[in-house]
Amino acid sequence: MAQPKNQNLIVERWDYRLTFAKEGRARYISHLDLMRTMQRAIKRAKVPIWYTQGFNPHAYLMFPLALPLGTDSEIETLDIALTEDWEFDRLVEQLNGSMPEGLYFISAARPVRSHKDIAAARYDIELSFNRPAGEMLGLFESFVSGETIEIEKRVKPKKGRKPGVKLVDIKPLMTLNSYELRGEKLYIDITLPAGVESNINTGVVIDAFCAFAKAEFETIYTKRTKILCKDGENFT
Amino acid sequence: MEELKRKIEPLLLKTQKPARYIGGELGSVIKDKSKVDVRFAFCFPDVYDVGMSHLGMKILYGLKNARENWWCERVFMPEKDFEKQMRDNDIPLYALESLDPIKDFDFIGFTLQYELSYTNVLEMLDLAGLPVLSKDRTDLTPIVIGGGPCVCNPEPVADFFDLFVLGEGEELNIELLELYERMKPHNPTKQEFLREAAKIEGVYVPSFYDVDYNDDGTVKSITPNCDTAPAKIRKRVIKDFDKVYYPDSFVVPFTSIVHDRAVVEVLRGCIRGCRFCQAGFIYRPFREKGIDTIEKQTKALCEQTGYEQVSLSSLSTSDYTEIEKLLATLADYTDKENVNLSLPSLRIDSFSEELLERIASVRKSGLTFAPEAGTQRLRDVINKNITEEEIMHTCRMAFAAGYGTVKLYFMLGLPDETDEDVLGIPELAHKIVDLYYETPRELRAATIQVSLSTATFVPKPFTPFEFEPQATPEEIDLKQKLIIDNIRSKKVKFSYHQQPVSKLEAVLARGDRRVCKAVYEAWKKGCTLDSWDEHFRPELWDEAFAECGIDRSFYANRRREYDEVMPWSHLDYLVSREFFIRENKKAHQALTTRNCCEGCSGCGISKEYGGLYCKGV
Ligand code: SF4
Repeated sequence: MAQPKNQNLIVERWDYRLTFAKEGRARYISHLDLMRTMQRAIKRAKVPIWYTQGFNPHAYLMFPLALPLGTDSEIETLDIALTEDWEFDRLVEQLNGSMPEGLYFISAARPVRSHKDIAAARYDIELSFNRPAGEMLGLFESFVSGETIEIEKRVKPKKGRKPGVKLVDIKPLMTLNSYELRGEKLYIDITLPAGVESNINTGVVIDAFCAFAKAEFETIYTKRTKILCKDGENFT
Repeated sequence: MEELKRKIEPLLLKTQKPARYIGGELGSVIKDKSKVDVRFAFCFPDVYDVGMSHLGMKILYGLKNARENWWCERVFMPEKDFEKQMRDNDIPLYALESLDPIKDFDFIGFTLQYELSYTNVLEMLDLAGLPVLSKDRTDLTPIVIGGGPCVCNPEPVADFFDLFVLGEGEELNIELLELYERMKPHNPTKQEFLREAAKIEGVYVPSFYDVDYNDDGTVKSITPNCDTAPAKIRKRVIKDFDKVYYPDSFVVPFTSIVHDRAVVEVLRGCIRGCRFCQAGFIYRPFREKGIDTIEKQTKALCEQTGYEQVSLSSLSTSDYTEIEKLLATLADYTDKENVNLSLPSLRIDSFSEELLERIASVRKSGLTFAPEAGTQRLRDVINKNITEEEIMHTCRMAFAAGYGTVKLYFMLGLPDETDEDVLGIPELAHKIVDLYYETPRELRAATIQVSLSTATFVPKPFTPFEFEPQATPEEIDLKQKLIIDNIRSKKVKFSYHQQPVSKLEAVLARGDRRVCKAVYEAWKKGCTLDSWDEHFRPELWDEAFAECGIDRSFYANRRREYDEVMPWSHLDYLVSREFFIRENKKAHQALTTRNCCEGCSGCGISKEYGGLYCKGV
């Protein structure tokens, strides 16, 4: 009988929470692909990564919160574990030695909060439309001042049924921090639910607004600026 | 770059797997345009997921980028959704590194790996904003070139290319680009450049040759019409294979691709001489790298890429002379680094169990055999050196070790195939099922499944079967039915390849220049991505051939005489016509030919090409 490959390995581990940026071309890496990309980056960097035990050992990596495709960020987090106790700076420097364009680590620390504490995330959104910006600002005002803001949310199918959509009112769930016109662009600063309990992407809000305004955006630039816990504290 | 990037980005959010269209992967080479003298767009005429898995591209990409003032970039065929976005938004085909339009490059190079990618070449040229016909591209640049296995008969696409490069590309690419770099400052015309290029061994400029036809439609002669063009163009071979350039870095994709791992090429050529197999002849002679070289290249690549899997690439890795020692050496490294070592083309019967244990891929992937034909007689006809005894022996061992799935691959429509040979296919499957039930219950897996898969035989140039007619779709239908009717066990599963594709492949593989017109018309009608079942449109190809007045049976289903001038007669792939005729005759007598390791059979290759077993001068 075959033995687990690393059954004699040390199980001692040191946990790290890394903060990283994802921007530029790297913004189009999907969440699933990001996992693989990071695994390889860590392998290349030769940091003493801790492997899970068993028949199919794999490097331990955990993303507390996924970043939607197409969104920039400088505050993303990745949890890893090492088999040695490394200085934070050394770890960051070593990892950054061979990263693809637009993906880099900013800092490392011991994890403090649990990923279950994450409740919300804040975003900057910059939009241009196929209609004059002044007009769009007015439309956005009426969009957000309505009684409700309904979006379509996919619901998990019950056994034997087709997946359906249901209408959800996100007005009570979101916080609109500010919005304004800058030149021909509409800027929105918004906080939306994020984490294990409920998660709303900026995309659905923008889609709902476009449907409401009967307009299409021409360019869109989204950046996540904060990841927040239930108590309002920053996650890192 | 910036301008195109701004146009591309909003579209990416509306596109499937957008990471395929924006570049930026680790290992992709970015250079300062102002310091670059030669720009090369390496085009793989299929989607990213397929093209990025291709080893030849990785080699030639690294090779050219090793020159400071050359910049080689990658280009793939977009999927239909993104292609539509590109056309709707006036985005020309661009290269993934610079995001610059490829029509401004010096070279556009296509690798032709399979015939069904031909319409993609036209689509990509058109997306780039270029005329698809070589004669309509009158400027010096971009120079559109083609390489890869299909250029051993490039005639069905000859009208679209400025030149072809025959054989192995490591030296030839350098020579061609150096020539261009020397000539460029003098602003030569395209004709002037092509005239000089034709002097390089392995360069074939199709417009420098006139093709005449006989009354019966066969080729009468192929003659050069330019004094610098040789009467016969000989393919290039790397003589010292151990020393040949090999990249120490790969572009590591973000999205999953077909073969997402480090790959090290261990040998080139094949000793076996299966008579249906084009690769077995056009890559001759057999040459291998030393263990030290392979070990060094494995380590370098694993370290640069961070891949957790490395595979050894060749036509038949078990033919490596010191295979046990090689695998043991590599396994020492890969075990330590938590890297999986996989061997796609391995005959597992020849190994100790201990070694098999160490090689993950063999454990996981189950048992796969390619007997190709259902009876020993027909296997002798095709010179496929695998016996029923060997298959049974390996299955017996494997069943006792708990394996429960066996896959068997066959071809239908082989020369001299009889009903008895076809019936041999389900029969072999039944014997394997029986063998499973003979295995003690406490050892064997809970259940057994034997999967049979058949593909229609496509006769290819530069094989002993280049003279053979392809079986008609009707004949293949009957053969498939015969198999279905004779499967007696629920444990046997049968899957087969669709018909129109195989006939098209046969026409494109052995066609002449007149077929170019049909390729053009089919593309005009909307045929692209023909190798994808969901995109293949046989009815449009039917129309295209009909409109061009081309009878496909002439190319696919006709027996060719030994003295017929083949459309590829002016190309020299080193293996002699006499050898192919000899092998064809032996095939019809069901006589086998020993492999190169057992003794040289004098296929016509001189030993100066570095073949390990070659004896000829
Ligand atoms: S010359 Fe002989 S050994 Fe060399 S490839 Fe041909 S048959 Fe094989």
